[in-house]
Amino acid sequence: MSLGRLEDVRFRYPGEAAEALAGVSLPLEPGHVTWLTGALGSGCTTTLLVAAGLAPRVTGGERSGTVEVLGVDPGSTEAAAVLAGQVAFVTATPAVQLSGVATTVREEVAFAPANLGWARDRIRSAVDRSLERLGVAHLAARDPGTLSGGEQQRVVLAAMLAVAPRLWLLDEPASALDAQGRGALYQLLAEVAREGAAVVVASEDADGLAPVADRLHVVRDGVIALSGEPGPLLAGEQIWSCGAGSTAVAELARMAGRLHADPRLAFPYPITVDEAVRRWSV
Amino acid sequence: MTALRFESVSFAYGAHPALHDVSFALSAGEGLALFGPNGAGKTTLSRLAMALLRPGSGRVETGGLDTRGRSPEDLAAVAGYLFQHPEAQLFERSVRAEVGFGPRRLGWPAARIASAVASVLDEIGLAAEGERHPYDLPAPRRRLVALATALVADPALLILDEPTAGLDRSARAAVLRVVQARRARGAAVLAITHDPGFAAEALDRGLVLERGRCVRDGPLWDLLGDPALGLPLPAPAAVARRLALPAHPPRAAAVAAAVAERCRALGASLS
Repeated sequence: MSLGRLEDVRFRYPGEAAEALAGVSLPLEPGHVTWLTGALGSGCTTTLLVAAGLAPRVTGGERSGTVEVLGVDPGSTEAAAVLAGQVAFVTATPAVQLSGVATTVREEVAFAPANLGWARDRIRSAVDRSLERLGVAHLAARDPGTLSGGEQQRVVLAAMLAVAPRLWLLDEPASALDAQGRGALYQLLAEVAREGAAVVVASEDADGLAPVADRLHVVRDGVIALSGEPGPLLAGEQIWSCGAGSTAVAELARMAGRLHADPRLAFPYPITVDEAVRRWSV
Repeated sequence: MTALRFESVSFAYGAHPALHDVSFALSAGEGLALFGPNGAGKTTLSRLAMALLRPGSGRVETGGLDTRGRSPEDLAAVAGYLFQHPEAQLFERSVRAEVGFGPRRLGWPAARIASAVASVLDEIGLAAEGERHPYDLPAPRRRLVALATALVADPALLILDEPTAGLDRSARAAVLRVVQARRARGAAVLAITHDPGFAAEALDRGLVLERGRCVRDGPLWDLLGDPALGLPLPAPAAVARRLALPAHPPRAAAVAAAVAERCRALGASLS
């Protein structure tokens, strides 16, 4: 069963002549990691803001079309009661997502469960599990304001995970993470999807997301220009003409192809090092 | 000339030690990548270099100036700083005013400010955004504005805290271009980064912090791909190594040329 959908959504920011979204349709499917990519200003972030109900409620602007999450429009006044604890929205700047009222990481992660009125034991076990899964249990007693950028990003994710949201909306969620943290985060997204959540992530990190995403949507000028399984789209040429990009290996193959016309350097491009080594050894 | 020198520097946030006995020096034109897991002390080190923090013990010299007894303003002419979160450094109402802020504080005449601002906005691809409010720009562009404020006075030292984090492809390419150009003109660059691909293209030395200590300091290509350090080898370098391609150092352009050459040779042997 679907968790919700965007249907022919159009959106215009206040004071802007051009539409940021010009008819986006996107199913929100439980069990799937859905990956949005596109050039800057293509509409990926706006799609997430609309799905979260933050656009236009917080951003201002005008929206048309249908947005539905768990049977309600997330931008409507009745949505808060239905969607509390059900939707996680993660931005690229974690510091702005800290509650600002917690003096320890443990309190920060307990903030949302406590607001949902959970029993003390349930909060404790959810918080412990969440801190563990994000690898920040050792920071439990620290003041969130004094953590490094990457640590804050993990704590924000742990705080979201604690309430087991059914819809995850993430905008470049690994921007401040080190290589291990990045890999662990993508694995976590795959896991919460397997556990039944719908995960939508906007990112240009093709190397990181290619192995975990179920479906890729390439956004250009406010519409979804390409959709499909990530592998074939990443190996193709069209994704580049959309202003998006592919993996570092595909980019390398294109660079080499500009220097020498050769079927081994033409698309479909290799997208992993293993594929490239196979292709260019014979 | 030494652009930045740390001598046995230690620092703690209250009871939390953040840096322990760190020493290194950075010369003009050098490009240093500062690596380390989240919480290793990288941002603390950069803030010490900018006199935003003072060492608990040891000595920090930025552009030849001992940071003790100096304020960040005293370093404005010698070092440019990109904060991890550009929101921490943007407060003017237009991009042009924002980028002109530092030069105004340095007392430059208006004509010189206008030409320096125009030139840096052009260099970084923001020429069309001069009259926009920085907060009306998408986050990656806002980061480029913050970078422009660090570049505008043409400092001999650039300290960049995660310059490519969260950037889109074109903004990342702009940052890469700028770092290469400034280094070619003799500026020293210290970049905190989790992006080995960027480091490989833009820099050539690496320093690894772990729990506040410097555990490695050496040529970048000795560090990338070392499993003990958790720094993945960038894809072009991995391809070059696996195919034993003659590309040294294995930056993307050199590897692409070697791949093209390999395919040309394979093609000839087939026919």
